[in-house]
Amino acid sequence: MEGDARSFRIALTADAYVNPPPGGVDGLAVLDEAGWGVMQLPAADYPAGMTRRILADIAEQVLEFHRHGYDIVLVGEHGGLAGALAEVAVPYPAGISPATAEELRQFLRARPAPQVLRPPGQPG
Amino acid sequence: MGVAFVAHCLLNQNAKTDGGARCPGVYSPAVEVLRAAGWRIEQMPCPELAFTGLNRFWAVREQYDTPAHRRHCQRLAAGVADAISIRAAQGEDIVLIGIEGSPSMGVCITSSDPLRGGRPQWPDGAPELTSGEGIFIEELRLELQRRGIGFPRVAGMTHPLPGHDEDAEQAGLRSVLDQ
Repeated sequence: MEGDARSFRIALTADAYVNPPPGGVDGLAVLDEAGWGVMQLPAADYPAGMTRRILADIAEQVLEFHRHGYDIVLVGEHGGLAGALAEVAVPYPAGISPATAEELRQFLRARPAPQVLRPPGQPG
Repeated sequence: MGVAFVAHCLLNQNAKTDGGARCPGVYSPAVEVLRAAGWRIEQMPCPELAFTGLNRFWAVREQYDTPAHRRHCQRLAAGVADAISIRAAQGEDIVLIGIEGSPSMGVCITSSDPLRGGRPQWPDGAPELTSGEGIFIEELRLELQRRGIGFPRVAGMTHPLPGHDEDAEQAGLRSVLDQ
């Protein structure tokens, strides 16, 4: 993967960390700075049926990343996510609901290298 | 300010295939403009990621223009149309931000070569850019039409195109947001 710019790290990110309220943690900015890709979870004000459909689509995409050994974490929470990931047999990711940007930075720095980048045979 | 529906890869370059990513994760030039203008960001799904996967070859629209792939795009477009209809009903100004040159997400420029197929070899610089929309954008347009919702104004990010200039790309995005 020489010359490949991808980080192989994905953060499933609650809407409030992509579009933070005044005084909220700008998760998108921290993830950008740390080189993580963001998959935004549905806004809290969307109807339940619509949210379920969107989460099913998200889970399908997450499955593809999971199958290829990308590192996947959760920033924030979304009640429907566990069910959607279970439908596609993707483990619920490690996560954080950071109160500060620095808390999120520390969490991201502590992550192991993505499986896809480890030499063959090296455990997770 | 309003709501910007952005192509998936503008927040997640990991959805690109090998050689396609400009940066590790978030495409900052787009987010910088949106943040500075105070626009809400809503990420669209990547139709190629879920259908042809991470090991896909670079493609032109003819390779995605199949009934099965269009049905896949229709399903994803319905979710985006749901979100657009809610924001429109809230009176929000809406912009769609695509990726110029993409066979899926191009808004003004897409990739086309009716002869491309078979063993993936073609000469460097083989012409493929053409005016038009990508397959997903076409299906989203149709879905919004079916619902009686006007198609939002669009901005196309130009970083995949030859001769790309980041300042011009950002200026183009700003001008669409300011309309």
